[in-house]
Amino acid sequence: MDRIKKIRNFCIVAHIDHGKSTLADRLIEKTGTLAKRDMQDQLLDSMELEREKGITIKLTPTRMNYTCEGEEYELNLIDTPGHVDFTYEVSRSLAACEGAILIVDASQGVEAQTLANAYLAIDNNLEILPVINKIDLPSARPEEVKKEIEDIVGIPAMHAPCISAKDGTNIDEVLQMIVKEFPCPKGDENGKLKCLIFDSYYDNFKGAICLIRVFDGKVKVGDKIKMMQTGKIFDVTEVGIFVPYAKQTGQLLAGDVGYLAGSIKNISDIEVGDTITNFYDPINTPLPGYKKVQPVVFCGIFPVDGAKYNELKDSLEKLKLNDASLEYQPEVSQALGFGFRCGFLGLLHLEIITERLEREFNLDIITTAPSVYYRVHKTNGQMIEISNPSSLPSPVEIDYIEEPIVKAYIYAPPEYVGAIMELCQEKRGIYKDLTYIDTNRVRLYYILPLGEIIYDFFDSLKSRTKGYASLDYEIAGFEKSDLVRVDILLNGEKCDALSIIVHKDKAYSRGRALTEKLKKIIPRQLFEVPIQAAIGSKIIARETVSAMRKDVLAKCYGGDITRKRKLLEKQKEGKKRMRKIGSVEIPSEAFMSILKLDDEDK
Amino acid sequence: MNGIYIHFPFCEKRCTYCAFSSFCNLQEKDRYIDKLLEEIDEFDTKNLKINENLPIFHKNNDNFDENNILKVDSIYIGGGTPSLLEVKDLEKIFASLNKKFKFARDSEITIECNPNSLTEEKLACYKKLGINRLSLGVQSVDDEKLKFLGRLHSSSQALEAIRLAKKYFDNISVDMLIGIKGQEEQAFIDELDSLIEEGVNHISTYMLQVEEGTELARQYQKNPFLLPDEDETVKIYEKTRKFLANRGFIQYEISNFAQKNKESRHNIKYWTGENYVGFGLSAHSYIYGFRSANANNFSDYYSGKKVLYEKLDKGQLIEEAVMLGLRCYCGVDITYLRKLGYDIENNENFSYFCDKNIIKKENNRVFLNPKYYGISNYIIVKLLG
Repeated sequence: MDRIKKIRNFCIVAHIDHGKSTLADRLIEKTGTLAKRDMQDQLLDSMELEREKGITIKLTPTRMNYTCEGEEYELNLIDTPGHVDFTYEVSRSLAACEGAILIVDASQGVEAQTLANAYLAIDNNLEILPVINKIDLPSARPEEVKKEIEDIVGIPAMHAPCISAKDGTNIDEVLQMIVKEFPCPKGDENGKLKCLIFDSYYDNFKGAICLIRVFDGKVKVGDKIKMMQTGKIFDVTEVGIFVPYAKQTGQLLAGDVGYLAGSIKNISDIEVGDTITNFYDPINTPLPGYKKVQPVVFCGIFPVDGAKYNELKDSLEKLKLNDASLEYQPEVSQALGFGFRCGFLGLLHLEIITERLEREFNLDIITTAPSVYYRVHKTNGQMIEISNPSSLPSPVEIDYIEEPIVKAYIYAPPEYVGAIMELCQEKRGIYKDLTYIDTNRVRLYYILPLGEIIYDFFDSLKSRTKGYASLDYEIAGFEKSDLVRVDILLNGEKCDALSIIVHKDKAYSRGRALTEKLKKIIPRQLFEVPIQAAIGSKIIARETVSAMRKDVLAKCYGGDITRKRKLLEKQKEGKKRMRKIGSVEIPSEAFMSILKLDDEDK
Repeated sequence: MNGIYIHFPFCEKRCTYCAFSSFCNLQEKDRYIDKLLEEIDEFDTKNLKINENLPIFHKNNDNFDENNILKVDSIYIGGGTPSLLEVKDLEKIFASLNKKFKFARDSEITIECNPNSLTEEKLACYKKLGINRLSLGVQSVDDEKLKFLGRLHSSSQALEAIRLAKKYFDNISVDMLIGIKGQEEQAFIDELDSLIEEGVNHISTYMLQVEEGTELARQYQKNPFLLPDEDETVKIYEKTRKFLANRGFIQYEISNFAQKNKESRHNIKYWTGENYVGFGLSAHSYIYGFRSANANNFSDYYSGKKVLYEKLDKGQLIEEAVMLGLRCYCGVDITYLRKLGYDIENNENFSYFCDKNIIKKENNRVFLNPKYYGISNYIIVKLLG
């Protein structure tokens, strides 16, 4: 049983930008897992987009060997995504560990996700070790930050190592702490197989791969395994560990972290949080904590060029291979033609997917404004869930509508409390609580409609608090709300892709803002174009794009027509990005612009 | 038939809005004339090539005489300010041209003049040299506007110049600018009226545009209200079209109006794909489907550098035919386009535009309704899609 005593499974949690991936790099480098020449910054963030945005989207576990006082230890680091969209994924990777390193930026102090992630770790009964990072910064205040951690998070922090992951200062201290302070895994390698799936990805040759933590028993090539939640059965074709590239080991034993392949064709067969057991000798109860991941934000994605529908479909399929949480189904819009209604874990997830479609698959796409899902209770007693404003039944059929709400926690310096409360008020928030964490920071607790959060809440919060506020939220059920659909009519014709669902009290102002915005975006056409906002048949706002009068190049001097030709080329380019709705041409960016109403028009 | 363009790039003073090749270093003039004459002397019909993408060309019919010399029926001397050219230099230029080209007896020979540099003596010489058309850069008959534009003449000088010119010429064109801040619809019409009273035969009306690198552009950057609203400008343009039609002027191109038989033969070549050979700094040529342009600085020009030399492909020929043809009353030849591989009648917007009376089809040609000249670019792009 000595083997298991030498294993340490841990993860690193932090607020965004506090240095999680950089510390991971240093640990890998220090333990000699990879030679320095093979290192590239933020090693575990393998996607181009991850490095660019400084966020971790996919998890990558790494095994490192470390010798401490003459004994060799096996350290398994499980990197975690650092964004509120991926809270469930984080909680599952935490469940695979015994310890968590909580990194806190020495100048920023405790932030919303510091706390949210620390609580997740506490919920999973992990040993938490605080680490103060970025002590190389002139504004570093490690002693104060330690006190903040003790006061706010409520864990001892006075002996927390003060490090600079960037410069490599005090990394050894962290490694020794991992060995000495984190408990080793408990588990019986002779017991029945009990494994947690904490992530998955798709490999073109091996099929879908499960990232697993073995709690009890062992799993080896040739075993027949069963996924307890989905009920699927597979034959294990390969097991191994990451160092940090995949390395076959033939088997994994209790306490180990690694991967498992089993000719699994469809990534949807692997659900994060599911428990794997042996088909012939199964356990009875799966591991706790499993949830079916549900998308919370939806939008329509359409190809700019209608002929590229199949390309878009293929691209979404490929993305889905690696990302089970992405959901999509075909959608037809009168305005935009054939496309897909896609569901995401949050706005960041949405942004990542759309950006990958454009960059990695080189597609020009139109994205409609994000929406949440509503529960519509009809007068006939039926309840339907809709995420597309244009599927909202007519008002006479609706008894009432419920919208998703969230518990939102906002951390900010006290001087911004007024501004934040004002914002939450505007966003239909219900005030719950205000706590002074210390003299420099308060925590505001609000109940807010999710629909308002996805409608530029984060940007407004940042701009009204000069970037000092941080936000964390969790879905907290549904609440009845007085909602209406605002439609946009262009030249008298309804443009379904521009419809939005808003609270009745905001319908007028939003309708007005929308028509004003569209007036700015829609270029003049051959004929005058009225832009109207309507609730049902009632017009609530109107703007007019007057007819185009001037689009002519006058002088063609001395037979020089090259300039005319250049202009023509430019106009032809512009035409490609236009969508025709009835007789009206609108630029593709109009559909997303609905989101950006507030910041500009204030 | 073929036309010749001669560029004279010198001015006494640069106008605030001007983006054409013009320079105020008149001391360069003599060397420039020498090089210009050299360029004409080096012209050789043997070097002319024919772009095989062209479905029809006129070689061997009326473009060459029996000795393979290019036949020409128009010369246009533009600038700059060609009226600053000394008569002896003009004589040399004509002599050189005469050696290289065969001129039709009724050739249209135009020189651009500034009202302030025109004298009776000069006019008499022009006439003697065979020049038979004057294009006067009047631009405005309102002193305030002339000052804003940086012109050197006053409104009374402009009218006086026309009066003087009328003594020698019966084909006088004036350039006018639309879209100057403070320009009033009726006042502008009155200005046009006064010009017609003086007996002008041809009026070009251009819309003032802010061109990169000009003094106007610098001012405009500081003050975006320097130019009137686009709608105002177009209103004046529309009024101009109606007024000139009433006064017997035919609108033969977006910016050009002429009394009967006073349309500029040379300008029409630009719109209809006929050949023109350009000599001088920044001069453009179009010969049998090839476009070329001389450099627009002196040293490069002297070394014979071209900044453009291209053989138009079928797509470009189609685009140019539509773009240029729709600008003028000649329209576009549907058969010609079809020979190039483009069936304009199959264009998705064609029948819609016909229904809306935006374009019309007649005698196998397509014409843009002059009411829509103001937005011709938009229509043209739609018809090319």
